[in-house]
Formats: sequence, C-alpha cells, structure tokens
Amino acid sequence: MDTKWNSTDKSPFEESDEHFSEGTNSSKPRIPAAKAFLPGGRIKAFTGFLAFFLGMTLALSALGALGNRIAWERDPSPRWEWDWQKTDVFRDNVSQYLREFLTIGAGGVLDFYGGEYYWDGGYSGAMVEQEAVRSWWGFGEVTEAVVVDRGTLDPVPPADAEKEPEKEPDAAYQADKNVLYWIQGKETSYTNGDVPANLAKFRSGSIEGYNFYLTFQNGKVSITKDGQELDVYGGGIYNENSKWFVPGYDNFPVSEELEGVTVYMAVRRTPERYYGVDYKNGGSSYYGSAFYSLAQWVEESESFYKTQGLLLFIAMWCLVVWVLLRKSAERVNREIASWTRHVWTEARFLLVTACLLWALLPGLLNLDLAYELLYSYGYGWEGGYSFAAWGMAVLRLVTMNVPALLALFWLWWLLRNDHRHNPRGARRSLLRSLFRALRTKELKRPVEKRLARSNGLILLVLLLGFALSLFPGAVLLNFLWVHRSIWGLFLSLLGCVLEALLVLAIYNAWKNLGLAKDIAALADQVEAVRAGDLSKPLKLPEDADLRQTAESFNDIQAGMKAALEEQTRSERMKVELVSNVSHDLKTPLTSILSYAELLRQEENLPPAAEDYARIIDEKAQRLKSMVEDVFEVSKAAADQLPVHLERLDMGKLLRQTLADMDGAIQRSALAFRVELPEEPVMITADGKRLYRVFQNLIDNALRYALEGSRVYLSLKTAEGLAEASVRNTSRSELPEGVDFTARFVRGDASRTDGGSGLGLSIASSFVEACGGEFRVETVADLFTAIVTFRIAD
Amino acid sequence: MNECILVVDDDAEIVNAIAITLEREGYQVRRAYDGLQALDQCLDPSVKLLLIDVMMPKLDGLSALLRIRERRNLPVIVLSAKSEDTDKILGLAMGADDYVTKPYNPQELAARVRSQLRRYTSLGDVNAEGRQGLIVNGRLSYDPAGRILRADGDEVKLTPTEMKIVDLLIRNPGQVFPAEEIYRRVWNEDAFSCENTVMVHIRRIREKIELNPKEPDYIKVVWGIGYKMEQHG
Repeated sequence: MDTKWNSTDKSPFEESDEHFSEGTNSSKPRIPAAKAFLPGGRIKAFTGFLAFFLGMTLALSALGALGNRIAWERDPSPRWEWDWQKTDVFRDNVSQYLREFLTIGAGGVLDFYGGEYYWDGGYSGAMVEQEAVRSWWGFGEVTEAVVVDRGTLDPVPPADAEKEPEKEPDAAYQADKNVLYWIQGKETSYTNGDVPANLAKFRSGSIEGYNFYLTFQNGKVSITKDGQELDVYGGGIYNENSKWFVPGYDNFPVSEELEGVTVYMAVRRTPERYYGVDYKNGGSSYYGSAFYSLAQWVEESESFYKTQGLLLFIAMWCLVVWVLLRKSAERVNREIASWTRHVWTEARFLLVTACLLWALLPGLLNLDLAYELLYSYGYGWEGGYSFAAWGMAVLRLVTMNVPALLALFWLWWLLRNDHRHNPRGARRSLLRSLFRALRTKELKRPVEKRLARSNGLILLVLLLGFALSLFPGAVLLNFLWVHRSIWGLFLSLLGCVLEALLVLAIYNAWKNLGLAKDIAALADQVEAVRAGDLSKPLKLPEDADLRQTAESFNDIQAGMKAALEEQTRSERMKVELVSNVSHDLKTPLTSILSYAELLRQEENLPPAAEDYARIIDEKAQRLKSMVEDVFEVSKAAADQLPVHLERLDMGKLLRQTLADMDGAIQRSALAFRVELPEEPVMITADGKRLYRVFQNLIDNALRYALEGSRVYLSLKTAEGLAEASVRNTSRSELPEGVDFTARFVRGDASRTDGGSGLGLSIASSFVEACGGEFRVETVADLFTAIVTFRIAD
Repeated sequence: MNECILVVDDDAEIVNAIAITLEREGYQVRRAYDGLQALDQCLDPSVKLLLIDVMMPKLDGLSALLRIRERRNLPVIVLSAKSEDTDKILGLAMGADDYVTKPYNPQELAARVRSQLRRYTSLGDVNAEGRQGLIVNGRLSYDPAGRILRADGDEVKLTPTEMKIVDLLIRNPGQVFPAEEIYRRVWNEDAFSCENTVMVHIRRIREKIELNPKEPDYIKVVWGIGYKMEQHG
C-alpha cells in the first residue's frame, strides 16, 4: 500500500492538468487553475476517497474478525463444512452413541469414570479416539496400530451382578430428543420411541424429521443419510484418517459379545434443544443437546465466514475502484492534511496512545493471554512452549478489539497523510511552543531560577523514566527466571547495570538541584553586594561544592566593606573639615564685607579709594559664593546632601527658572530659544536643588556663551525619560578631553571669568542626588549640558 | 525711638561693624562678646532687641537664648555662619524670631532689626485689629474687607493686580498655586504661557513686602509646582 500512496505524490498543477484532459475536450484552451474545480473532478475525487475508505475499513474489519476467530478457535484450519452431520464432531458423537448402545446391548454398564457418562463435547478427534479406545468396555479388540504406546488397559471390572441397576441401562437416552434408537440386545431390547413399529419407515429412511440412519447388524455398520448410503469403512483398515470410529474394520473387529446385537439409530435433521439430568449409582450425569449446539455452531460459523467473505469481496471491489481513481482522490488527501495540520503533536501522540491502550489493554489485562505471551505457552493444538503458540497469542492480542484496530489504522493513515503533505515547520507542537515561551520568559528571570527549573525538569524526566523502566524490568526478570540461561543472566546483569546508571543519574540531578540552589545563593549575594549591601556574609552548608568560592567571596566582601568604611570615614572627615573651614572663612569674610560696606558709605573718599572699596566688596561677594559652593559640593561628594524628593513638573520648573532669571537673560546679549512641551512632564526630584541646577546651567550659558549667539533650552520626552538640555556656543575654544563636571574646571584655563568653577560640578552632584543623570557633550565650540530624569508614573 | 539693642559676637570687629550700622539707623547699641556677658546685659530692661551669634566661647548663643527666654520676652535675631536649613530651624525652635546667616548684608540686617522692633511695639494694635477679621502672617497683616496690606504696620502700596495675587495667596497660606491657576483667578482668563507674567508680578510684590527680595520669606516659589504664601507665626 505504501508504494501506491507514494507514487501519487504530484504537484497540484500537474493534477489539475490531468483533470482537464480527463474531463473536458482537449481542443479548448488549457486553463489549469479553473479546471481544478470542475464538479466532475470533485465527484471523482470524493468517490475515490470514499472507495478507499470503505475498502480499507471493510477489509480490515473482516480480516480482523477472521483472525480473531481463528486465533480463539485454536484450530488453524477452519471447518469449511456447513452440514453439521458431516463434521468430525458429529461422527465422533454418533460413534459415541453407538459405542454406548452396543455396551447396553451387550449387557454392560455405563458407569465409566466414577459414575459419569462420558460424552463428547467437541474435543478434537484424536483425543476422543484415544480416550475411547482405552475405556471401551467389553468389546472391540483394539489392535496395536491404534493404541500406540499407551500401556496396557486396565480391565474394567464387571458390574456387580448381585446388585440390580436402579434404572434401565438406557435411562440416560430415553429423553434424547434428537436420536431415535432401538437396541436389539441378546436378551432384551431398548428403545426411546416406536422404532420397532416403524421399522419399515426406518429402513426406507422416511421417519418424519430424521434424515440420518445408522444400522448395526451382523457386526457391520451401515449409514444412510438423506437416502444416500455412506461409505463407512473405506479401505477396511482403521487408521487415523478413517472417518467412522466404529467396529467392523479388519483391524477393529467386533467382539463375540456383540453377536446378535442389533442397533437402529436415527438422528434428527434439525436438532432440538433439551436438557436432562440423570442420577445413577450415586453419581450425576448430565446430557443434553450436544447435537443442537453442534448444529448451531456450524450454522453460526457458516454465516460468519460467508459474511466476512462477502465483506472482503466488497472491500476488494472498493479498492479496485480506488486504484483507478487514486490520482483524483489525492486532492481529498491534501484537503484532509490541511485540516490535520492544526492538530497539536501532543494531541496526536495522546490519540495514538489512547487507541493503542484501547486495542491492547484488555488483552494485556487478560491473565491467560498475558501468560501465554510471556511464557509462549499455549493450549490445544499449539499446546506447550512453541513459537506457534506465541504467534497465536499475539494474533489473539492484536485482533482482540477490531474497532480499536481500525481506529489505529486510520490514525496512522492520517499521520502519514499529514507528514506527506505538510512541511515540517508547519506542524504545531504545544510542548515546543510552551518550551519556547518558557525559554523567552526564562531569559528575563535570574540565573538561579533557570538553573533550578532546567535541573528540575531533568530530574522529573529521569524519575519518570526510572518509574517506567521498573515494569519492563520486572517482566524481563520474571522471563529470565523462567528461562534460566547464561544469556539470561547476562541480560539481567545488563539490565541491572542500566538501572543502576539511571539511579546514579537521578542522584546526580538531585545533587545538581542543590548546586543550583547554592549558585542561586551566590548570585543573590553578588547582586546584593553590587547593590551595596556588604553586611551579610554568604553562608553555605559545609559540604557544598561552592563552599570554597563562597568563602573567597566573603573575603572579598569583607575587604570591600573595610575599604568602603574607610572611604566613608575619610569623606565624612573631609566634609567636617570643609564645613569647619567654610565656617572659619565666613567669619572674617563677614568682617570684610561689613567694613567694605561701611567704607563705601563713607563720604568724602577720594574716587580711587571708592573704587578700591567697590572692588573689595565685589571680590568678597565672590569669595562668599565660592565658599558656599565648595561647602555644598563637598557635601554632595560625601553623599550627605539632604534632598526632599517630590513629584514635580519639569517643564514648569524650567519656565519658573527662566522667569526667575528673566532679568539677567534680558540684560544679556544672548537670544534664548526655548522649546518646552505644553503637557506636564512629571518627575520625582528636589525642586530647590533642580532649580539650582538649571540656574547654574543658564548662568553658565550667560557667562560663557558667545555674544550675540543663541542659547537653546529644550525638554524632550522619550522612552520614559525626560531630557532637558541647555546648548550654547562657547565664547572661547573648548578644550578637548576635559571633564567639565569635575570640581574647579572651567573652559577657560586662565580662571579670570568670575565663576567659581563649581557650577557644573554642583549641577552634576545635585542631579545625581535627586536620582537623575547629568552629562556634558561638546562638539567643537558647541557646549551641551543634558539633564535626564525618569518620568514618574 | 532710640531703642537699645544688644549685639553679641565673639568677633569684636563684627560687633563693631553692626554697631556702626545700627547706630547710623538711630539705635543705641550695647556690646557683648560671649554668652555669659549677653545674659548679664539682657537683664537690663532697656534692651529691646537681641542680636546674637551662635558659636561663642563660654556659653553658645542658643543656650544663652534659652536662658534669656526664661526671663525676658524680647525680639531675638540669631546671627550665624551656619547656613543650613537644619540650623535655621533649630535656631527658630529655640526661640529666635529671625535667623540671619553670615556674611550678612548690613542693609538687610538693619531692616530686619527694624521690622522686629516694629512688630513688638505694635503688637497690641495688631492683636486689636486681628479681632476684626484681620489676616496676620508674621510681619504682614491683611484686611480683606478694605483690601489693605500692611508690612510691619506700614501700608504697602500695591497695584490692583498685585493686590489680587496677594489676596489669593494670603487667604490660603501654605497652599501651592500653579501659575495657570493664579492667572485664571486674577486675570479671569485662560492661562497660556503665563509663567513670566505671574513671576514678574510676584517679583514686584516681593520687592514691596520682603526684607530681602532675593531670599523671600513670604511669597515662595515651589519649584516645578507653583507659588505659595509661607505661614509665619
């Protein structure tokens, strides 16, 4: 089948061309695309597919049913005989009847086997034959040719002569509704009907409802069935292939005891159903409609085989139709593939698993069958340990659930079809997409989670594998226990080693889980130290693999802590020093300013002295502002600048600052180009400090910008950041490679401009104290100061 | 007039400079050079105002201030080189009426002295007027009915617009008003780029009511938010 399917792999264009040439006049211009949808093509395609579907379904179900029947009947050759009176079982039963009638006629007792009648329930001929030969009482000289090495027969003791039978010897047969008989014994005769009266009818074979007539007379058996005389003895020598096991063969002569015994026996054409129970000599016996069952079974078999045959026949024609239309049907396959593409791989897997379980689980749960499978032991014709027995058990298992088998087949076909028509990438897998999603999500998580999760997954899979491996392992061990051999030992050893390896892998994964935890702790610690928490050392268990690393890290941490404390202490001292110095500077400065003021108020000073007083005042004022700046910068450097953070509008702050400095701006020879957004730009900062920042920046521009040039002040928002910039063209050449935010740095190295050189440094410190970012960019003479803050939600 | 003012500083030159300035203003000046001297001199009831430095030998200014407060109720201006907010708050909490940082501006210092003296001497009047719905805020007092603003008892001449702004701010001390709102309320127009306009008016008001318009005590800018009237005791 495979090859047929593979051979139909064609492109849709080729196919549509085919439709075209098949379905329409070829003299018309070819328009492949249009022809693909011809209704004729559709019908053909669907017919083809339907034929394939029906054919495969019917064939499979018929074959499955046949296989199942054959497997469970334990007889490889089905009886193709639909006349129940021609079956082996019928012959065996009739022989049995005759044997017992003869026993009765000869005056024997029918209590073999501890008082039970032995009757044939349908065992195979061989069994019956041997049992019969062994226990056939009183007559029948059995030759060695029949009883092969069965040992000697124990003679059955004659019945107790003194004890009269409680019932007639033929009591068990009196009620028989399917057999009429008349036993003409040596002394008495028995019958269950009026055969003697109707002997003429019997002889002519015309008793109503009866069509099988057997007569034992003069040591010979003659049988008439439907008026036809049967050949009973064949070659005259009894052998395994002889049909009738009755006395009268050359090697199976009639014994003397049967001289003068005549038996007439007729069997009903259509057996009736009845039951009877007989108690005799303390034992119980049941007899019943053995013939009825036989006839029923044969009838049922006939209808079964004929039905399956018919199904196979229909299936064959369906498949023939499909083979003719299979190229058209390919379209339907493609259509189906376009649907099945959307089914997740996991769903497919689950479906197949469910179907497999549905098909095989009942068989595997059936203990007999499992036993047969495991031990290759069979009953019946395939009895004992044999491959045939194992094969039969497999057949039984496979054919146990035909609908499931069908479902499995169609699932397989769908999967195959899907694989053939859909490209690999188009297939969808829940697990894969899930894994991909997890993976991308994972990347955002800290390393430890990722480690722990992947290790956990490995551990889970290993544990699952171990748990699953236990079952086949146990089965294997059991099998090897039964079939002990050097190879078995080797196999079990190998199994043990594999299992041990699995356990080792699980242990390893478990330990890795612990390692991941330690790595996580270490990573946390690194993160904490990076964030500035130096107080807690990392504590790992004594036996941890990372113990040494943790210790080293703790040492580093301790070193850092000591260094930082030292630095903090020195910074604090520096601030104290600066604070004291600035205070000490302020006191004389106060005097200088006070007296300079007094001097200026003095009248009658020469103009030169007035000038000097003014200069003293000016320079003292500058000194004052420098002292204050130095104080604040040093505090900011020591992280001791108090900030009062609040939500504020950066745009408004800039407008206010501009308004506040409007006078100075108007007086300058600079043009301000201001670009501020109308909507509020909310940030979190200290308003006073930020005002100082922009004041300094604008002041800086006023002080250093080229006269007559423009100063650009703008505020822009992007990606959650607010960026304010002050841009101006420098009056003097900007030196390259200078950090303008460093303290006491000025663009002009001669320091004659009147600034403290701390403006940008203060701006930088204040912005950073408020949580923003400050930077200076210079391109040639273009100077840009940029303040960036994160926009508050 | 001729109130007597006690000036205390461990730096004799500074005391002298202050004395000259104040004497030119027409005040009598007494001098002290440490906290203990200040305590002694303060017992004299003729001393109407105390100007005291914080860092001094023997007894520092704030401790002296605490002790003086036990005995006398007089205006005290603390003069200090410590310029931080925390120092100012501490000084005011210890009972100072004003806090001036060194190096001070002599003109401003004289103005503050005058203001404190005016407030203390006209205290009775202020209280009497306060009962008639007057809004009093530190040096300022405002009569909403007559729309009269007084600083240290002197009426301040304000333009109608300035008066509207003061009216809005002084009625809601401590409340921050964005420039747009002030504009809308005062000009009765929708605000658009009004920051400069409002600021110009506020600057003019400051020049009229503040002792040091560059470091205002009353109308303050809340940077990035708006403007407010600071509440004083």
